[in-house]
Amino acid sequence: MRILTPIPLAQAQEVSHALPPFLRLCPDVRARPLTLYSRILGAADQPDLHDRLHRLDHAHAVDHLRLPRADLARRRLRGKTEAGRDVAIALPRDQQLFDGAVLALEDHGALVVRAEAEDWLRFAAKDAATALRLGYFAGNLHWRVRFEGAVLLIAVETGEHVYIERLTPMIDAGDITRIVDAPGAAS
Amino acid sequence: MTQFIPLSKSDAPGPARIGIGGPVGSGKTALIEAMMPVFKARGIEVAVVTNDLVTKEDARRLQAGGLIDPERVSAVEAGACPHTVIREDPTLNIAAADDLEARFPGLDLILIESGGDNLASTFSLDLVDWWMFVIDVGQGDDIPRKRGPGILQSDLLVINKLDLAPHVFVDADAILAEARQIRAASPVIGCRCKGALIEGVDEIVDMLARDLLFQGAAS
Repeated sequence: MRILTPIPLAQAQEVSHALPPFLRLCPDVRARPLTLYSRILGAADQPDLHDRLHRLDHAHAVDHLRLPRADLARRRLRGKTEAGRDVAIALPRDQQLFDGAVLALEDHGALVVRAEAEDWLRFAAKDAATALRLGYFAGNLHWRVRFEGAVLLIAVETGEHVYIERLTPMIDAGDITRIVDAPGAAS
Repeated sequence: MTQFIPLSKSDAPGPARIGIGGPVGSGKTALIEAMMPVFKARGIEVAVVTNDLVTKEDARRLQAGGLIDPERVSAVEAGACPHTVIREDPTLNIAAADDLEARFPGLDLILIESGGDNLASTFSLDLVDWWMFVIDVGQGDDIPRKRGPGILQSDLLVINKLDLAPHVFVDADAILAEARQIRAASPVIGCRCKGALIEGVDEIVDMLARDLLFQGAAS
């Protein structure tokens, strides 16, 4: 973890060679410190980390960075934690964020990534031929899908209306049926 | 001849990788050319990977332009629909970016320009950290309305060639407003990359510096 605090311009040159290339560009950070995390320490449910996190949690010292699930694939991003801290993430290319990724774990506090719950649209097709057509259609539009038996789940990564608009002809024709509020719906 | 150097596994994050996609002729290469002096003025070290269908045309243009060390430009020939090498299997582009990263350890940014593609083009986040989609007013004022993943899912939508708007019967303010309405909270920047009046390019570099290089005040 590295805290980016305001660096007087006169000193910026001195530190420039000690920092990774992109960080020597950071002396403009003036208003509030931005904390940079450049590695994942482990998973929150790892036994060795879990016990320490549990103790910190009792002291209300575990902060969370909530991210849309699609953003977990990013290796660089800026965000704000639940406690309101501005943070930046820049990971090596062989590391990837996940729900429960521990970014900081110290005596006085920790930061853990949490993936936001995802909305899924659920559709059932009237027969096998229509199911094939629906599957082809979703793949052609590069939608992310899951399967639950005979039900196709489509991840809502933009506005829900974007997906519904595209499927309206099949819905109106009675070829597919949207299943709403199904028990045990994926989240 | 380019020699590929294996990138050793490192704890260092390395340079940010930025995707620049959009239809043929929308001005992706011109935008890169316009950004180069801004990067240089700000001390941001850059390399570029270009993608073309069966040529190295965009790479040769950048290498001949004098705005960047030709050694810092690598070309990937897609050999198929360009989106296949930035989304379905970005291996060639990852290798090209890894090679640039290994040869130029001081890089801050690697720009990966996709070959021209349609509105369905998107980048794999295994390849890039962030990507922009470039359209231009000459394609018609209905392009944002046509949506498509490039329009909707990109981190930044750039509407280029605003100076041509009156000549192609497009209301520049209207197309920008409609694009912003369609993309809701996601940013849209209008720009012109050529001619006496350059517009929007500083704003794009500001965004890259803030969101990828973490320059500037915390929000």
